[in-house]
Amino acid sequence: MQDKIKKIIDDLRVEIKSVVSEEALVNLEQKYFSRKSGVLSDLMKNLATLGVEEKKVMGKILNDAKVLMEEIVGSARSSIEKSNFEEIAKTEAIDITAPQISAKDPGTIHILSRIERDLEKVFTSMGFIVFDGPELESDYYNFTAVNIPPHHPARDMQDTFYITGHPNWVLRTHTSSTQVRALQKYGAPIRVIVPGRCFRNEATDARHEHTFDQLEGMVVGHDVSFAHMKGVIKEFLSKIFNTEVEVRYRPKFYPFVEPGVNVELSCFLCAGKGCRVCKKTGWLEIGGAGMIHPNVLREGGIDPENNQGFAFGFGIARIVMLRYGISDARYFLSSDLRQYISE
Amino acid sequence: MLLSYKWIKEFVDLADSVTPDEVAARLKASTVEVEKVTHLGENLNKITVGRVISADAHPNADKLKVCQVDLGRETVQIVCGGSNVVANMLVAVAEIGARVRWHGEGELVELGPVKLRGVDSAGMICASSEIGLGDIFPAHDEKEILDLTKHDFKPGVNLAEALVLDDAVMEIENKSLSNRPDLWGHYGIAREVSVLFHRDLKKYETIKINEGKSKIKVSADAALAPRYMAVKMRNVSISPSPSWLVNKLNAVGVNAVNNIVDVTNFVMLELGLPLHAFDARSFPKDKIIVRAAESGEKIKTLDGKEYGLKEGEDIVIANDSEALCVAGVMGGEKSGVQSDTTEIVIESANFAPSSIRRTSTRLGLRTDAAMRFEKSLDPNLCPIALARAVELIVKVCPGAEVVTSVTDVKKFNLPVGPISVDYTKIDSVIGAVVDRKEINRILTALGFELKEKKTGVSVKIPTWRATKDVGIAEDIAEEVLRIWGYANVAPAMPKFSITPPEQDARRHLVWQVRDSLSLISQFSELKLYSFVSPDTLKKLNINPADCLTLDNPIAKDRPFLRPSIIVNLLEALESNLHRYDRVAIYEIGRVFDPNGSGPRTEKNSPELLPSQNVKLGIVYSAKGNEQPYFAVKEALRQIANESGLEFKFVKPKNVLSYAHSGRTAEIFVGAECVGVIAELHPANAKAMGISVRASFAEIDLDICANLRKSVRKYIDISEFPQVTRDMAIIVPRNVQHADIVAAIMNTNSLVTRVKLFDVYEGEKIDVKKKSVAYHITLGAGDHTLGTEEIENVLQMILKTLRDKFTAELRS
Repeated sequence: MQDKIKKIIDDLRVEIKSVVSEEALVNLEQKYFSRKSGVLSDLMKNLATLGVEEKKVMGKILNDAKVLMEEIVGSARSSIEKSNFEEIAKTEAIDITAPQISAKDPGTIHILSRIERDLEKVFTSMGFIVFDGPELESDYYNFTAVNIPPHHPARDMQDTFYITGHPNWVLRTHTSSTQVRALQKYGAPIRVIVPGRCFRNEATDARHEHTFDQLEGMVVGHDVSFAHMKGVIKEFLSKIFNTEVEVRYRPKFYPFVEPGVNVELSCFLCAGKGCRVCKKTGWLEIGGAGMIHPNVLREGGIDPENNQGFAFGFGIARIVMLRYGISDARYFLSSDLRQYISE
Repeated sequence: MLLSYKWIKEFVDLADSVTPDEVAARLKASTVEVEKVTHLGENLNKITVGRVISADAHPNADKLKVCQVDLGRETVQIVCGGSNVVANMLVAVAEIGARVRWHGEGELVELGPVKLRGVDSAGMICASSEIGLGDIFPAHDEKEILDLTKHDFKPGVNLAEALVLDDAVMEIENKSLSNRPDLWGHYGIAREVSVLFHRDLKKYETIKINEGKSKIKVSADAALAPRYMAVKMRNVSISPSPSWLVNKLNAVGVNAVNNIVDVTNFVMLELGLPLHAFDARSFPKDKIIVRAAESGEKIKTLDGKEYGLKEGEDIVIANDSEALCVAGVMGGEKSGVQSDTTEIVIESANFAPSSIRRTSTRLGLRTDAAMRFEKSLDPNLCPIALARAVELIVKVCPGAEVVTSVTDVKKFNLPVGPISVDYTKIDSVIGAVVDRKEINRILTALGFELKEKKTGVSVKIPTWRATKDVGIAEDIAEEVLRIWGYANVAPAMPKFSITPPEQDARRHLVWQVRDSLSLISQFSELKLYSFVSPDTLKKLNINPADCLTLDNPIAKDRPFLRPSIIVNLLEALESNLHRYDRVAIYEIGRVFDPNGSGPRTEKNSPELLPSQNVKLGIVYSAKGNEQPYFAVKEALRQIANESGLEFKFVKPKNVLSYAHSGRTAEIFVGAECVGVIAELHPANAKAMGISVRASFAEIDLDICANLRKSVRKYIDISEFPQVTRDMAIIVPRNVQHADIVAAIMNTNSLVTRVKLFDVYEGEKIDVKKKSVAYHITLGAGDHTLGTEEIENVLQMILKTLRDKFTAELRS
């Protein structure tokens, strides 16, 4: 009996070597394990004829043999499957560089909105409130409140849109129109930014748009200084341009600040060497800034004896143009979807 | 404004090692914008004075001349395209080997011998811009060559030597001087240079006027002219100025006219105060009247044009019978110096800046004089400038003498302080400690008079800075900071409480809307102009009376402020439909409603600005989609999902003028109407040139932001199975989905969800009816539903639907 078993196992080992398909393996399984006619099943049936003790011994031997044979078949099966998969990998190979056919284009978020989100993130992380004000503003908040009284020559510097029938309404020429509104609402100390649409009655060309977005920033507190302004401006520009920027300040007159400066960024396109974009100066003007004039603080209900602060106003389009290499300011208000959807 | 470096150096003894470029760089960093520095005479090698002997027609070209040019040592033939070239003209000749800038543009190019249309040309007769002299000799047209005939130059002399071009000219941006009345002349700039380079400023010395006995009477309104000085001179003979004067004026781009006018211009360029010289015959009674223009008054000025004056606003200089001159803006044609003038009256005055500004702007006369007077000049310049002018007239016009006493009518009061400034205030504005000695040096050198006190200084403001520029401690801090240097201030971060900033609910919502529309619903965000055209309004049947109008629109065809965010989006839809089959766009921005109330015009003012809420506009169209309404509604559902707003769609009470009345709804959040959704009315679509069905929605995000539920609650998944059954019913067409869903949900508490999955209208059923099919989900929180229980609920639902909507099961 034991010899018989050994022979069966040996036979299986020999036969299984020539099996290469799942189908042949199933046939071989049938030959050995089939309940009705399997070689092993036949031996099992013989057990019934044996005595109790012998049955015990032979039963164990038979069972061990069965486990062993199943292992042999199992390992043959996994090697057949493995080679099958290798074949499948070849026959089912795809062009991994091809795109999904007729994939839907995603929608787009406007580039000015995207930069606005970045700006808001940087400033809110520094504790700034994001504030807003009307685009159609009173002459008072747009001019008088920020130290530009009627007939002040500075009114000439900004070509203003006026509203028929309402001589004291204007389309705001700058986001500085929100300075006094914010001071009146929140008082001091305050950190606030105001991104928003402004309007100037100027002919539109590659560098100018009559409708444009500005970023106003304002910090007022007991001892807020010009040094703090330099710190905050450098920090946010470095974050926005994702590089350590160099900033230069030059004198510039704005009625609502004293001292007032122009803010210029070292041209990172040419690393300050001078290129077409920076007009060979190595510097790019990105906005104005300065220490808030005491008259403006007073209009906002803030005592200038105990408070001082700085404000700045940057052209958002300017920042976007520099960051993304856009050369024409008219791009931003275009309705042509080809600019937004890549094909 | 152009500045001569040599002229500046007359007042500051700069070291020879200092270059004009260094001076310009320091001025840029601390004082004004210097746009460029031109080194005169630079690149003028082999540029020679020549005399045109003959200028004959070119055999092969109409616009060219063949010239024989005397260069002193030789005569050369040059082909010239200059429109003004004639025989005997003195010209600038670029010889072979000279470097010129073609047409004043691009890089310098070295000249070689050439044939032009078959004729040899040995060099070039130059336009001023081609040899870098465009600023000081501006050409009237592009083809004009530089005419040197009026100079007494010998042919063959190097041009730089002939013109004494060893100077450098700085071009200052006028705008950057708008708050600095003291910097409109060389002396003022020299003062800045002296401070920046730690050199002494030379005192401006004048010779006392040797007054005569007679008197000129001046009647001046102090509100119009805070100061008016005049003096009369005789034995004047009008002639060309000597070359030192001509060269000085030319260097800064001012043309020489005659000795008297040149002197007044010289003094203006030096001190910044414009003077005017009258022919004394203009004042037959020796009486000068400074007054506001009268009704209907007209004046013919130096430029030969006649201007109507504005009563009570324009200031004129007049005699008893007529206005002679638009004061501070432009002289009159007849009253100025003439060729036969022998007696003159010199005016040295100060006029009300805002009046000068308004007059010059209105008349379009932005003259050198007006630009200066409108900046609030120091009235104390008047006697200095007058003395200087008299001194120079005597110099250029030997024999000339003053015949009257100096009349000086004045009434002004400058706020020169003193103001008290603590050093610590300066420190705290700057955020750095500047050495006290340096503070004192800077201020003293700028002309401030200091008295040291315990904690700071008492500062007396120099009159030339007191007219409007400097008045408070912050101004003093600025003076110190700009001279000390912005770059010297180390950046620092302010100290603030770390309390998180207040969040703006609408801004938050706007971001959720953008994310939802762009990233989930595949819409593209546009930003369009806030201005709309009457043409488009008409196409949409929108009444222009509901729009605010611009007084001064930049685009004449877009004078209205947008009353709705949809208007320009529909234009954008139309243009993009030419390129895309599916156009899904939106914009978020303010719209202007003249009938709504917005913020106050001033803190306590009763006047309100018009409402200008932030609105979301969505526009959608896709070829083949006959019911685009649902695509827009789906986009809104995604927004609702993202933001927690619960939109309800209700049959509108008022249908928009451009909405399809059968396909429009008002959008509600709770009890508040927040917007509208509709298909574009076919008639309006046609008018707009839109040939496919389009739908849109407009929602007020300012209102929505206040209606959001702050917290959404989690609902447990029931541990007992849910069962879904489908039910298709036929109902009259006007029965609304929302009502059916509400009815089903209300029938029994075991109904957990009702979802529409099919709508059918068509041949197979009654034309007045529609078939709607729902997945109805049932479940209980505490047990598994039995078959009978389920059947029971379904029957109840069916009964409800029959009763309410005359629904019948579709077989």
